[in-house]
Amino acid sequence: MTIDRHEPTPAIVAEGLRRTFHRGRGADRQVVEAVVGIDLVVGRGERVAFIGPNGAGKSTSIKMLTGILHPTAGSAAVLGHVPWTDRRRLTRRIGTLFGQRSQLWSELAPRSSFEMLAAIFGIGRRRLGDRIEELVELLDLGELIDQPVRTQSLGQRMRCELAATMLHEPDLLFLDEPTIGLDLLAKQRFREVLVRLNDELGVTVFLTSHDVADVEHVADRAVVVNHGRIIADAPVDDLRRSVLAVKRVRVGIEHGHAADPVLDLGLPGVLAEPISPSLVRFEVDTNQTPIRRVLDTVLAAVPVADLSVVDPPLEHVIADIYEQPR
Amino acid sequence: MTVSRDARANGRDAVDRGDDEPPPSAAEAGSDRPEPPDPAPVPVWRVLAATSTSAWREALANRAGFWSQIAIMIVNDVVWVVFWFLFFDRVGAVRGWDLDRLVVLFAVLTTSAGIVLGLLNNARRTGQLAATGALDAALALPVSPLAYLLVRRVEPVNVGDLFFGLGLFVALGDPTPTRVAVFAYGVACAVLILTGFLVLVGSLSFWAGRSDAGDLGFHALLLFSNYPVDIFGGATRVFLYAVIPAGFVSSAPARLVDDFDVRLALGTGAVAVAVAAAGATAFTVGLRRYTSGATWTRA
Repeated sequence: MTIDRHEPTPAIVAEGLRRTFHRGRGADRQVVEAVVGIDLVVGRGERVAFIGPNGAGKSTSIKMLTGILHPTAGSAAVLGHVPWTDRRRLTRRIGTLFGQRSQLWSELAPRSSFEMLAAIFGIGRRRLGDRIEELVELLDLGELIDQPVRTQSLGQRMRCELAATMLHEPDLLFLDEPTIGLDLLAKQRFREVLVRLNDELGVTVFLTSHDVADVEHVADRAVVVNHGRIIADAPVDDLRRSVLAVKRVRVGIEHGHAADPVLDLGLPGVLAEPISPSLVRFEVDTNQTPIRRVLDTVLAAVPVADLSVVDPPLEHVIADIYEQPR
Repeated sequence: MTVSRDARANGRDAVDRGDDEPPPSAAEAGSDRPEPPDPAPVPVWRVLAATSTSAWREALANRAGFWSQIAIMIVNDVVWVVFWFLFFDRVGAVRGWDLDRLVVLFAVLTTSAGIVLGLLNNARRTGQLAATGALDAALALPVSPLAYLLVRRVEPVNVGDLFFGLGLFVALGDPTPTRVAVFAYGVACAVLILTGFLVLVGSLSFWAGRSDAGDLGFHALLLFSNYPVDIFGGATRVFLYAVIPAGFVSSAPARLVDDFDVRLALGTGAVAVAVAAAGATAFTVGLRRYTSGATWTRA
């Protein structure tokens, strides 16, 4: 790998990154290719969503980039460090947050965990006090800082986890499905914090997620991975105009009323699909018809008992990306 | 501080400087600027002290549970000593082992096992941690993962062994200064052997996947360490010194306390260092095969 010394060192450079696992024993032993070959460059200050369905190779890639896993082949430099040979120096400059791992001590208040992490990262007592104040304000931790982790909700805990990840002021944040299991409000708050960290402190954000909304609200670039290789790499604005422009509207109709009046709204880019006699799902291409117009038309046509607007599942988005012209 | 989108490409200190500041030079803008110097590494002892302090705090979070577990373990150990008291009262000495020496053996064993299973509890869980992907949190920190994991967890019930062992030696072990020093040396050797052995057999999980080999080895080692290995003879005795180093965990240190011998002391120390080094090496080499995982875990 060569890095042009006249350019700022990128946050992440990966070339041909590959990882295989072995499953089973004896005659049943299989080689599973989790990551087939990842080539990627992420600049400083970018917000990148690394997305893909289950088993696509997202977590394996992120664990190689953070030095947790050794690759089978390929090379990588993160902030100029080879992650798996220079892990201890790299981890001083990155923050790693796994949605399914806890770095906080469940019986202790986050403040105690922060004190231990401060000792590990060489943060002095005075600086730690200032840093905790900054993070409490930034992440709206309030009294959570002194409340045992096991008594906190998942959303509260994830904010404390993020604070722990940010304690040593990393240049680059790796977040592996950080919004998994959070409710809508907690997800929204978490996304806002990530954007603020990036906007105000210049922290590079590298995020994996299953949630299309994470991509839309946090990232400015989306890298789509499937079957262990990158299948798309585009600005989120571009995706927003294409595949992310499609929303799903579910409309429940009051008992005793027929859905017929809304099965053909006559709006461009709107497809209706009856799910049951009183439930209709619309696929809306918001490039052609704004959601608001669809809702106004539906509300005027039938008495609505229930209504929701959701993103299509990530698998559908990825299927659409497959169909995009390259 | 505000950071412009373009400036961010140059890193964290590429801040918006305002109109009244001179434009950054090429070097300041980052084109030839080297990476910021790495922060000075933190001494290992400070990392271990901070981690074990947190482990103690967590163990003491439920004080009633902590002390009740310790009390139960002490009662359990007392019963074992009473058994040996009754045994030697009826049988007398066996192959040079009498009640006094057996008390020292049991004090060495409970003290060292109390340290390893109580204060270095993850030594016993090495295989489980490796097989379930629970090493991620340690690997995300700028620390030696093995050292961090070893002190990461305190198990109160086994701390009871530690208290009992120290109390037993002080009460019945004739703790003269010389005997105390040799006892401390013997315990240190036993701690190294127990920890190294547990990490070694646990690290097999990096190659064999989830298995009970570590637990089986652990139980065998502790079981045989409960007895003076010298009462066995022939192949069994060789086995208990060479394969499962139970003889070096308790019998050899107890003999040293009672009847110090330089060659035995050096031999026990060499075995301790060798087993500890083997455990650390197996773990370090095994990490290259670590596969992580996706289950909810905590080290």
